[in-house]
Amino acid sequence: MPYSVNISVEAPIENQIHEITYDGTEIYQPPLSLSESLSKYAQKIDFSKTSEVEVKKEFSETTEDNKLEADSKETFQSNLWPWDTVRNKLRSALQEVCVLADVLAIAKDKRYMVLDPVQQEPLETKSMAQIYARKKALSGAANVLLTGAERLKTSQTEAARNRTVPDFHIELLRLRQNWRLKKVSNTIIGDLSYRTAGSKYIQTGTFEVSKTEEDEKPATPPSSPSPLSTGPVVPKTNTALKVSIPSELKGVAYIEVLCRKDQDDLCSANINLLGNGHTTTHPDMHWQQKLEAAQNVLFCKELFNQLAKEAVQLQAPIPHMVVGNQIMATVLPGIQLIIGLRHSTNVEKKPANSGKTEHDHVLEHSLHQLLREVHHKNTHHPFPHPATGPLGPSKKRMCAGPMAADRYELLEMTKTETLLEQIIKQAQHFFMRMRTEYVLDTIAKEVKDPLISSHWNTLNSPTQSCVKINISTHGYDALCRTPLVIHVGEKTLKCICRDGKVMYMSYEPQELRDLVFCHINQHQILAVQALAKTMGWQSLANSNHLGTGAVEPLGNASSCLLASPTGDRIIAVRCEPQSGVQVSVAHSPRTDFFPSRLVTERKWEHLGGQFRDVRLEKMEGRNFLHKMELLMASLTSNS
Amino acid sequence: MGVTILQQFPTENRTGPDTIELLSKRIKALGAMQHGNFLVDCETYTSVPQLGHQRTVHVLHNSEQPATVFSILDTGTKTIPLATDGLFDLLMMKMSSFYTSKKQTKAESKGPRFEIGDFCVKLGTITVSSNFKGILVEVEYKPCVVPAMCWDLMKEFLQGFLGFSVPSTPPTYLQNRMQELYTPIDTIHQYLEQFMIYRKSPGIGVRT
Repeated sequence: MPYSVNISVEAPIENQIHEITYDGTEIYQPPLSLSESLSKYAQKIDFSKTSEVEVKKEFSETTEDNKLEADSKETFQSNLWPWDTVRNKLRSALQEVCVLADVLAIAKDKRYMVLDPVQQEPLETKSMAQIYARKKALSGAANVLLTGAERLKTSQTEAARNRTVPDFHIELLRLRQNWRLKKVSNTIIGDLSYRTAGSKYIQTGTFEVSKTEEDEKPATPPSSPSPLSTGPVVPKTNTALKVSIPSELKGVAYIEVLCRKDQDDLCSANINLLGNGHTTTHPDMHWQQKLEAAQNVLFCKELFNQLAKEAVQLQAPIPHMVVGNQIMATVLPGIQLIIGLRHSTNVEKKPANSGKTEHDHVLEHSLHQLLREVHHKNTHHPFPHPATGPLGPSKKRMCAGPMAADRYELLEMTKTETLLEQIIKQAQHFFMRMRTEYVLDTIAKEVKDPLISSHWNTLNSPTQSCVKINISTHGYDALCRTPLVIHVGEKTLKCICRDGKVMYMSYEPQELRDLVFCHINQHQILAVQALAKTMGWQSLANSNHLGTGAVEPLGNASSCLLASPTGDRIIAVRCEPQSGVQVSVAHSPRTDFFPSRLVTERKWEHLGGQFRDVRLEKMEGRNFLHKMELLMASLTSNS
Repeated sequence: MGVTILQQFPTENRTGPDTIELLSKRIKALGAMQHGNFLVDCETYTSVPQLGHQRTVHVLHNSEQPATVFSILDTGTKTIPLATDGLFDLLMMKMSSFYTSKKQTKAESKGPRFEIGDFCVKLGTITVSSNFKGILVEVEYKPCVVPAMCWDLMKEFLQGFLGFSVPSTPPTYLQNRMQELYTPIDTIHQYLEQFMIYRKSPGIGVRT
């Protein structure tokens, strides 16, 4: 289509249509002004329902007027009229109020008018309905009273019972002081695991707390005497609280450490946090003991689990074995460390070997301590040094950068020892210490002449201890004393000798034995020389490692040569680790001289004569040095 | 950590790899065992003109101290050495608006690392922005920390496999510190000294 169509867009009709012309155009009424609309709304006010008719009449009147006025287009006039109805209504209201005020004023005087109550028509009462209503109300009140009485009764009985039985809530409060509890819907769940202390063991240690039932009470007292007779069970206590622990945590568990040498037990340690396995799983046990026992089981399980895991992972020269509830590790050749988890749930069966095997409190304590240390480390991290720095590295590692630590040091920092490694080291040290003690004691027993005394340092670490050995002769302590210090490590011994020399020895006890014997010989020679000095004798020569004579199975013989103050007597002492001490004496100018063809003059006898052996065992004297003193004295006085 | 001596080795018309091979053969003939490789690198940052007087920061890493970043601040009048954590590198990145680095000055020395008894020998190929510059031999004598006490021994050892290119006097940096305790930062100072020399020198040849 060539033509465009005009589309008119207009606002919705808001005003009334006044007229529609023949051509269809609509003429609207002009919108009402503010005063007009106000008067329009005022018309609609309904002042009273009573004067409904009047209003209707007036309304029709006004509409009539409106129509008339609309026709005559006297808009101003039509605006005035509507207020008239309002005025009329207000006026009539005023009249009524005035009349009422007059009536009231007259009535108040009581002279002209008296107000009498008007007899009302009595209300008809439905008797049956009233009875029913009263019945219902009474029964409601009765119900309230009955439930109140019931509550009082139960509280009364509760109070009566509580005189003998401790209060559940008090008990719960006590439980709450030592154990973690939480409420899950209607049950109280507790947690006895070491998780809050830093444990990362998967097994949960939840237990449930409940109220002891009333009917259980009378059944328990008769049963209590029998368990009392069987063992040291805690005295029966009435508790209002019952804890139920999962079945896998019930019973008694302990970790047994056995050291076995060629199939015979050397020592064993029973680890049980509660002591010697006296705790039994008695059903009437107090909840505190019950929970402690369960916690102990959990701890032992975690410890064993950790050790078993490490035993499998560790690459030892002789692989560790994990069989069932036992871990076997070789500590030293021929000596095995067996760590076992013992868990018994039945009451009667007590560990039969508990009396036989001896208790090692040190190993017991250290295993306990090691796991606690791991727990502690899990919860106590070192603080990052710049507050924004990374969390985790140790203090040592954090200093490594600024201190310019080299690769070796950094590598050392990354090494961590597992629990099993540490306990093996401790066991190794235990054996080293035991062997050292044994060697020193047997030597002290065997060798009487120089006295061997050993002093163990009381302060030591689980993997290092120190012993000081003093070799001295009775009665001559001040004269000469040979001190030795031995550091007992895990697999080696470090001996610091008198002259400052440091010797390293392996775990074989024979090496230490040989070393001590060597020092005994040296001591004898040194002591003789010191004695000679005080006696005025002269030391001509001494050698700690003599090359002459028969070959010794261990070490070398040592010797010394002493000359009397006048020089005419010579004593030779030779000390051998195996055969002991030999003493020879030579008289330089022999007392009797017979000229021969070879030795013509007496002066040649000063060159020295033949040595003659002294039979020491026949000599008088308490010990070697005493004998030597007597010998020297006799040789000096003789001249 | 013992005393370390840094020593240039003339290439004499040989290529870098050839020289390293020659020295490796010599040191192995003495009974040394190769223990991995090493790397020392140096990056130089200069302060922007807005900061006023120009300062230079040399940031060095030594594979012998992998957790440490060494830096030497050169103010023109004095040098301030600093040994820090690895985080220092990140700090330098943050300060890139104050200290800018010239990429073409990045110098490094890397090569095999040998151990022979108490000595540790490192044969380093010096490259400055990946151009071959020369050969640097580092010898460390681990048991001693006072240079004066072991210089003669080290000189003899160096001459033993480097020939007579070894001077009879210790490096200039160490000459004033012969009686002091030797620390890792002293090694870094020596390296920086050498790197500065190589940076100034024209390239010996393209690295082959």
